[in-house]
Amino acid sequence: MDRSLSFEDGLSALLPRLRRFAHTLSRSPADADDLTQATVERALRSKSQWEPGTRLDSWLYRIMRNLWIDTVRSRGRREDLHAPVEEAERLGEDPRNAIEASIDLAKAMAAMQRLPEEQREIVALILIEGFGYRECSEILGLPIGTVSSRLVRGRTALLQMMGE
Amino acid sequence: MVSDETFFAWLDGELDPAEAARVEMEVAADAKLSAMAKDHRAMQERLMRAFDPLLGAPLPNPLVAAVRNLPLAEVVDLADARARRQLRHWPSAPQWGAMAATLAIGVLIGTIVPHQHEAAPVEVQGGKMYATAAIDRALDRQLASAPPGDVRVGLTFRDREGAICRSFTASASSGLACRENGRWMLRGIFAAPEGQTTDYRMAGGMDPNLAALVDSTMAGQPFDAKAEEQARSRGWR
Repeated sequence: MDRSLSFEDGLSALLPRLRRFAHTLSRSPADADDLTQATVERALRSKSQWEPGTRLDSWLYRIMRNLWIDTVRSRGRREDLHAPVEEAERLGEDPRNAIEASIDLAKAMAAMQRLPEEQREIVALILIEGFGYRECSEILGLPIGTVSSRLVRGRTALLQMMGE
Repeated sequence: MVSDETFFAWLDGELDPAEAARVEMEVAADAKLSAMAKDHRAMQERLMRAFDPLLGAPLPNPLVAAVRNLPLAEVVDLADARARRQLRHWPSAPQWGAMAATLAIGVLIGTIVPHQHEAAPVEVQGGKMYATAAIDRALDRQLASAPPGDVRVGLTFRDREGAICRSFTASASSGLACRENGRWMLRGIFAAPEGQTTDYRMAGGMDPNLAALVDSTMAGQPFDAKAEEQARSRGWR
């Protein structure tokens, strides 16, 4: 009883962070809220799979990221997963695309969208959500070296897009 | 020359102290690397500034409701069964009698919460749901014996932590609120089944999901009229 209460309280407390992560992945706020809701529903259904004593946030982020990948795949936007980084860099060379100092959420979301999926999730987890490299590699099930090299490419492309 | 991976690992605080100190010196001695560090720090700060307001933004109600109510959908059958068993021990409480009638009909599967767009009975603050003014007022003042108005209060009881809880029925929803820090915090709120609002409410029955929530929350017996009145005069403490 207490344990299930603490699970739901933990989930409630993490909702704002999960929602922020959803916004870093999604194309629109509506998509982001759908993703957050789907994550909550999945988490509650899979509650028994969470091991008390382990990090609830990592577990929830993993659920959200996997749901997101499913969504992307089912939308047939597979190309996004492997979009060439050159495209993002090319977009960044046009000064009209440069983002000014006071970027708002919509602009930041648009910039993130130009990153290939595989870089975006890592940029989001480390630069925005504040996870360490190891936590990030555990959430994504990737070797740390892969996380590190994708992070270099992602943040470099993003810097160019944002007009440095 | 420091590699990109090492440079950024240093920037992100991922290196052990000895290596971090080495890279730090190298960056300090190299104008290009120093500028790169500055640019990337600024970019990260701008990204965070753009996304961070989401942390303080009110959550959409369906989201909060999903957290609070979804588990009930799973356990409702079990809890229903338990509620039925317990009914046999409380034959005198009229509300429970009405509830038994409702449960027996069996078709009144309460819709799990709000995609409703009417005046929300819920206010979300800091990730918690509170009753809005009309319901809050009714919970504060109204006794179960009051003539039915916009809001009807049902059962009053204590939860396992000793807080007073009250179930209520509003125009198109019903729910359970418990006293927390001097306010009525919602433990659950359920939309009335589509198209059944009036008849269903007039029958005085309780949404099965609400019944399950009441069942799992209540410690001991529901208050009788006298205990309810005393609790009101003590400010629901």
